Amino acid sequence: MSEQPETYIAPEPKFGYPSGPKLGAQIQARHRRGQVWYVLLGASLIVSILALIALLYTIVNDAFGLVAVEYKNDPGRLVLDQQEKIMLSDPDTVSSEDDNELAAGIANDPYAVGFFGYAYYQNNSDNLTLLAVDGITPDTANVEDGSYPLARPLFLYSDADILQKNQAANVLINYYLTHVNEEISGVGYFPLSAGRISQSQQTWKQANELDLPAGQWASINPEGVGGRLTIAGSSTVYPLTERMLQRLQADGFAGAVTDESVGSSAGYRQFCVDGSSDIAAASRPMNQNEFAACRKIGRQPVEFAVGTDALAIVVSAQNDFLTGVTADELRQIFTTAQKWSDVNPNWPDETIKRYIPGADSGTLDFFVETVFPVALEDLPQEALTAILADNVSLGLGRRIESEQRFAADQLVFFTEAQWAEACDGAEPYAGCTLPPRDKENVLLLLEENVTVPNIVAVWKLVPSLLNRTAIEQEALEKYPAANLQFSSWVNLDFIRSPQSSTPELAGVRTAVLGSLWVVAITALVSFPLGVGAAIYLEEYATDNRLNRLIQTNISNLAGVPSIIYGMLGLAVFVRALEVITSGAAFGAVDVGTTANGRTILSAGFTLALLILPIIIIAGQEALRAVPNSMRQGGMALGATKWQTIWSHVLPNALPGILTGTILSISRALGETAPLVVVGASTFITTDPNGPFSKFTTLPAQIYQWTSRPQPEFQNLAAAAIVVLLVLLLSLNATAILLRNRYARRPS
Amino acid sequence: MTLNLYSGNGRLAVEAKEMSVYYGDFRAVKEVSLQVPQKAITALIGPSGCGKSTVLRSFNRMNDLVPTARVQGAILYHGNNIYADNVDPVEIRRRIGMVFQKPNPFSKSIYENVAWGARINGYKGSMDDLVESSLRQAALWDEVKDKLDQSGFSLSGGQQQRLCIARTIAVRPEIILMDEPTSALDPVATLKIEDLIQELKKEYTIIIVTHNMQQAARASDYTAFFNMDADRAGYLVEFNETNDIFTNPAHELTEQYITGRFG
Repeated sequence: MSEQPETYIAPEPKFGYPSGPKLGAQIQARHRRGQVWYVLLGASLIVSILALIALLYTIVNDAFGLVAVEYKNDPGRLVLDQQEKIMLSDPDTVSSEDDNELAAGIANDPYAVGFFGYAYYQNNSDNLTLLAVDGITPDTANVEDGSYPLARPLFLYSDADILQKNQAANVLINYYLTHVNEEISGVGYFPLSAGRISQSQQTWKQANELDLPAGQWASINPEGVGGRLTIAGSSTVYPLTERMLQRLQADGFAGAVTDESVGSSAGYRQFCVDGSSDIAAASRPMNQNEFAACRKIGRQPVEFAVGTDALAIVVSAQNDFLTGVTADELRQIFTTAQKWSDVNPNWPDETIKRYIPGADSGTLDFFVETVFPVALEDLPQEALTAILADNVSLGLGRRIESEQRFAADQLVFFTEAQWAEACDGAEPYAGCTLPPRDKENVLLLLEENVTVPNIVAVWKLVPSLLNRTAIEQEALEKYPAANLQFSSWVNLDFIRSPQSSTPELAGVRTAVLGSLWVVAITALVSFPLGVGAAIYLEEYATDNRLNRLIQTNISNLAGVPSIIYGMLGLAVFVRALEVITSGAAFGAVDVGTTANGRTILSAGFTLALLILPIIIIAGQEALRAVPNSMRQGGMALGATKWQTIWSHVLPNALPGILTGTILSISRALGETAPLVVVGASTFITTDPNGPFSKFTTLPAQIYQWTSRPQPEFQNLAAAAIVVLLVLLLSLNATAILLRNRYARRPS
Repeated sequence: MTLNLYSGNGRLAVEAKEMSVYYGDFRAVKEVSLQVPQKAITALIGPSGCGKSTVLRSFNRMNDLVPTARVQGAILYHGNNIYADNVDPVEIRRRIGMVFQKPNPFSKSIYENVAWGARINGYKGSMDDLVESSLRQAALWDEVKDKLDQSGFSLSGGQQQRLCIARTIAVRPEIILMDEPTSALDPVATLKIEDLIQELKKEYTIIIVTHNMQQAARASDYTAFFNMDADRAGYLVEFNETNDIFTNPAHELTEQYITGRFG
């Protein structure tokens, strides 16, 4: 040791190893070779992740997005009409298009309540009390900023062509936009802000193709201007127009003006459908359908905002118990409540007398839209039934009612006598014995027979999010009558509805139930068989030629294409064992619904065979992984072989066995090919009700939808894939949780 | 037919008569004859691969678990050959328990580890009492009495081995076979087990395989020395009281082995 030099010099390569600087270089080279592999492994991981992302992107892109829906009857309008009908049909309600009549009626009755434009309240403020809504009494500030819930803008609508040709109309609008803010307070409405007025003026300038700088206004002198002019529309705008006309005539206007107070909707009808008026006065903006109707007759509506109105909820000045109401109380007061005490026990036990504007008035529409819910599903079942009764023919109605009646105590389409006769007859209706329909059911009937949504165009998620404006324009041009809405193709209705040939109504309930049934049978059959076989092969079978042959064949079976199992299932379960799989042997077949062996049972057996080898192999692996010391420990205590297996080997192998089972059940849930061969029906609308039912499964359903030409079915397929994935993940998660809970492996 | 197990109070617990053990065609043990005395500790020693573990496992037919194993000759237990056709190995193992080289508690609670053997063997008495007395006999009770419902795996290695001894005693065997029970343990745990074995010999016949010569000398009453012949079959060289083996071996091989010259 003492001879060793101060600095260590590597010995000469005596054994053929590199040394000195060569050693370092050689090690570096080995590292580099490892790094190549590291990069390759990383790249393959990235490729897998990208593939997964692409998969999810495709599914999600298809499963959500904008759709353009055309309704045969607009659901919002139906709700509105129905709500108005309910209100108007009430015996304690007085309805009039003449607001003075309403004001007078309310003033004279301490238990009366009503609503109309704010102007009429101002004219009659001596003998009326204005109610606050949700604590807000209307005034200039809260109407302007919209915090008072019952405020709305007032409009005049015309058309550039009309304005250029009809001088009287043009002068009226010009005069309106010049002087309306001087007069509007006199009528009882709220003046527009300067900005809003100048916006309307800008619109007028464009319609007249006047190239004036912004902010500069050209008021026309009305003196001597003549011609004919028809204004029709909102009763709320009417008094304002009358006042403007008076002043216009005082300024020398000589035109013959017809001003009709018919309500906003009727006003739009005259302007856009009949084309009989030159100007539409309205207390709500024109909707898409009205817009489309205008364009159909060649009119391009231009909108002029002229003021703001607030609805006044009023009671008589003699009323001593009310100063304000909440929105909820308001709803009750105008519908379900009969007496004041029904709404609030502190209020008098007197009948509510209601005074409301007529059905043609925009005021009523506005009130109902603002105060009441506007979705069909928010209406009570009786109201839904009433809408149905109003919108289907008597014949169709009777057919629907004969299948299942609408209410236990009331008939809608039949008379009591007809019903009783039919039910006592030789062939009573199904509805004679069935319980009445529920609300879901009536909603579905409405959708099928009244609203009849028809998807005319679909857009994928990404363009829907990034390109919304372009899509909106495209929809307005190509499908003016359609509603553009964001649609999630995966929704509760989709999961609850059975299959249908109409994409709007189609759902996956039948397929989900079918899948669950089939997988349940598969699991029940394959788990005990597979685990049993695994235990036999691993614990009991001696190492002889026969057992080796069986073992090899099981491994090979795991790789057999699934369609071949389908052929096997068809030959054995569907055909040869039809007596059993069709349920005939157990007398379980309903005449007329027989599936001839193409049943859930056959499918379950087939899939059980398909995954049996996988379960056996996984089970064997798990049993093999149990240390032999476990078995010896048990045997050394005088336990029999089975006692040892049952108490020590199986519990320790269970996590592995269950993991294999979960994986193979997942595979069964996703199988399509063998089920198509075994006879999964591609179109079936009745839920499976037992192992002998006809069935379809989610993958079969997806396969069927993807092969349809209509684009909506691609979205349905994507939605069904989402459902399938969620189903798979939740089944797996449940199984894994159960496994971790009950089969915890010793540390 | 069952064995006539209670054949009086002869001094022999079990006796191997010209026993050979084969694994397939390979003869692992050659014509061993050995008379194991009752309620004493008999140590089997010898170099690696000399077949002492195989001999031990033949006493309760644990070799049956090896598919290719085969025994010639006889092992007499209460005068009957336990390898006779009409003998159920389960009955043999019920009477002749075994503790293994590596502690192998069941993946159950400490309580169940002890109770399981009793339960499957149809024990009718109070299970709590049996568990407690077995754990006390195995000198483990004080350490585990507050955590009987915890997993057997939560114990240390030495405790696990004593738990395995407790579960073996719980079925009240006549003979306990121990296959290098301390080889996986540290010296302190080893000493505890040795003390325990000394206690147990008052009630049980103990046959112990050990690699540790000091252990054999310290803890056993009789010692059998095995060796391996040219074709690698194990054979019994010498069997005598431990004292004689270590102080006055009859064979030169024995002396060479115990003085550490081979093995």
